[in-house]
Amino acid sequence: MLSYNFNWSVIWSEPYGQWMLQGIWTTIRLGLICWFIALFLGIVIGTFRVTPFRPLRIFGAVYTEVFRDIPLLVQLFFWYFAAPSILPKSIEMWLYRGLPNSEFWIVVVGLSFYTSSRIAEHIRAGMQSIPEDQFNAALSTGFTHFQTYRYIIIPFAVRLVIPPLTAECLTVFKNTALAMTVGVLETTFMSQQIEAYTFQGIEATTAASVVYMVITLSVVLIMGLVEKRLAVPGLITRKGGQ
Amino acid sequence: MDAYEWQVIINNLSFLMQGLATTFKLALVSITGGLLLGILVGMARLSTIKAIYYPATAFVNLMRSLPLILVIFWFYFLVPVIAGRPMGDFFSACVAFVIFEAAYFAEIVRAGIQSISSGQMQAAYSTGFSYRDTMRYIIIPQALRNMVPSLLTQSVVVFQDTSLAFVIGLKEFLRSASIVDAREMRSLELYAFVGTVYFVICFMMSKMSKRLEIQRKHA
Amino acid sequence: MIEINNVSKWFGTFQVLDNINESIEKGQVVVICGPSGSGKSTILKCLNGLEGFQEGDIIVDGLSLKDPSTDLFKLRQKMGMVFQRFELYPHLKVIENINIAPIKVKKVPEKDAVKRAMELLERVGIPDQADKYPGNLSGGQQQRVAIARALAMDPEIMLFDEPTSALDPEMIKEVLEVMIDLAKSGMTMVVVTHEMGFAREVADEIIFMDEGRIIERGTDKSFFKNPKTERARDFLNKILF
Repeated sequence: MLSYNFNWSVIWSEPYGQWMLQGIWTTIRLGLICWFIALFLGIVIGTFRVTPFRPLRIFGAVYTEVFRDIPLLVQLFFWYFAAPSILPKSIEMWLYRGLPNSEFWIVVVGLSFYTSSRIAEHIRAGMQSIPEDQFNAALSTGFTHFQTYRYIIIPFAVRLVIPPLTAECLTVFKNTALAMTVGVLETTFMSQQIEAYTFQGIEATTAASVVYMVITLSVVLIMGLVEKRLAVPGLITRKGGQ
Repeated sequence: MDAYEWQVIINNLSFLMQGLATTFKLALVSITGGLLLGILVGMARLSTIKAIYYPATAFVNLMRSLPLILVIFWFYFLVPVIAGRPMGDFFSACVAFVIFEAAYFAEIVRAGIQSISSGQMQAAYSTGFSYRDTMRYIIIPQALRNMVPSLLTQSVVVFQDTSLAFVIGLKEFLRSASIVDAREMRSLELYAFVGTVYFVICFMMSKMSKRLEIQRKHA
Repeated sequence: MIEINNVSKWFGTFQVLDNINESIEKGQVVVICGPSGSGKSTILKCLNGLEGFQEGDIIVDGLSLKDPSTDLFKLRQKMGMVFQRFELYPHLKVIENINIAPIKVKKVPEKDAVKRAMELLERVGIPDQADKYPGNLSGGQQQRVAIARALAMDPEIMLFDEPTSALDPEMIKEVLEVMIDLAKSGMTMVVVTHEMGFAREVADEIIFMDEGRIIERGTDKSFFKNPKTERARDFLNKILF
C-alpha cells in the first residue's frame, strides 16, 4: 500500500469546511434553476413532438437528437469557450468581464438545454403511450378536445411520467458536477480544491460523495411523496408479480 | 469577429485523431468490462440470498447516486494507493468506468430477466429443469434478446461519458482538442469539430440500434 | 398415488388453502372447479412443488413434499404440467420446445428425442408444425404443443391449470379431445377447469372448491344432477347457462 495518512478533519476545519458549504449551496442552486427551466422547455418541446404540425415535430426531433448525441461536457465547453465568440463583441465582453459568475450562468444555459431534450423525450413517450381509446371514450361522452386533454389526458400523462422525471431530476443534480470544469465553485470543484491544498484526496472526495448521496436521497423522497399524493389506485401498477 | 480558421483542425488532425482513438479504446474496455461485471451484479440483484442481494443493491444505489466525474476522481486517488504504485490515467479511468457503468448495465440485465414472465420459469420447472438449466436455456436467451436495445443505448452513453476522463488529464478526444485550443486559441472551430464528430458517431450508432430493433421485431 | 393431507396455505395473513384433504389413485381423472380465487390453481401448483404450503403434507408416489430431503426437481420429472397461457418457449422451435427437457435433463440422445417428439406431435395432431416457432401457431395448436411438451418427459401424472381458459371458443374442442384421449389411455390427471363437458365425459371425481376449502365432492352423475350444497348449486347455476 502506498503510504497515505488519513486526516478526516480537513473536511470541517476552516477554511475548508466553509468552502464545502459554499460548494453545496452552489450545487443546489444550479440544480434547481436548471431543473425548472428544463422542465418548462422539455414540456414545450415534448408537446411539439406530438402535435399534428410537421414543422414543429421536425424541430422537436432535431432539437432532441442534437442535444442527445453530443456529450454534456462537450456541450458545456462549446457554450463556455466557443459560443460567446459568435456573439457581438460587446456581449462577449460583458459575458466574460461584466457579468459576475458568468460561468454559473453559462452552465445554466448549457445544462438546461441538455436536460430539456431528455425531459422532452419522456413527455413525448408518456403522451404517446396513452391508449387512443381513452381519447375516444372521453369524446364519445361529449367532451371537447380541450376538455379531454384537461381532464383526462394530461392528468394521466403526468402520473405516467413522474418516475422518469424523478430520474432526470437526479441526473441534473449529478450533472452539476461537470460545471467544475469551467470553474464553477460547486461541490466537486471545492472537494478538489481541498485536495489541492491538503493532499487529502480521499477524505475530500468522500465528503463530496456524501453530499451527492444526501441530495439524491432527498430528491427520491420528495418525488416519492409527490407520486403518492397524485396516485390513483389501480391506475399505474408497478411491474412485478402476476 | 475573426475569420474562421478551419485550417487549425487539419493541422492538428493526427493529434486529434489520436485522442479519438483513446476515446474508442476507453469506451471499448468500459463497455466490455462494465457489461460482464453488470451481468454478475444484475443476477446478484435477483438473488434470494441476502448476503448476495444486499451488497449488490447497495453497490448499484451508490453508483447511481454519484456523479461519474466524482467517481473518476475517487479512483484516481484510490487506485495508486491500493496498487501500491502509480498506475497511469488510462488504467485509473478504466477501473472507474468499468465499476461505474457496471451498475447501469446491472439494472438493464435485471430488468431484462424480470421481464420474462414467471410462467416461463414454472413451465421449465414443471418439466424437471433445475434453476441453473432454466436460467441457461430458457430465461437468459430470451432476456438477452429483450435487452439488446437498452444495452446499445447504454453503450452510446458510455461512449459519451468517456469525455469526462478529461478531468484527470487523460488525452482523450475532448482533452486533445482543448490542448490544441490552449495553443491556437481557435475554440469555436475546435469545439464545433468535436461536437460534430461525436454527433455523427452517436447518431449513427443510435440509428443502427433502432434498425436492429425493428429487424428483431419482425423476426 | 397422490395424497393431500390437511394442507393449509397463507399468503401473509390471507388464507388461500384451508385444510385440503384428498386422495388420488393411479389412473384417476380428477376435475377441480370453483369460482376465481377459490384456491384451485394454488393447490394444483402445490402438487408439483411450484408453490409451497405452511401446514399439512402432500405425498406423491411415496415421497413427501414437506420433507426437505425430497428432490423436487427429480419429482417434477414424473409430473407434467400444462398452463393456462401455454408458456411455450418463444425462442425455440416447436420440436425444440418438446425435446429440450428430455435432452438436457434426462440426457436422451438427440436422435431419440426428436423421434419421440414427432410421435407426440402426431398424437396431438400437428406433426406438420414441428419446425415452426410458437408465435406462428394458433392458441389451440400452442396448447397442444404444450401438452406434447409435458408428455415428453414420460410423466406418471399430468396436471392441467385451466388449459382452455385462454383459448378462442373454436379451439377449445381440439384441446379437450387430446385431453380426453389422454384420460382414456389411463393417465392419472388432475384438471382445473370450467369445461363441464369434459368433466362429464372422463372425470372419475369432481371437486368443488370455494374460498380455499373443498365444499363438495362427487362423481359426474351425482355432482351435476344433485349438488348437495347450496354453494355448489349456485355455482353450477351460474356456469351452466
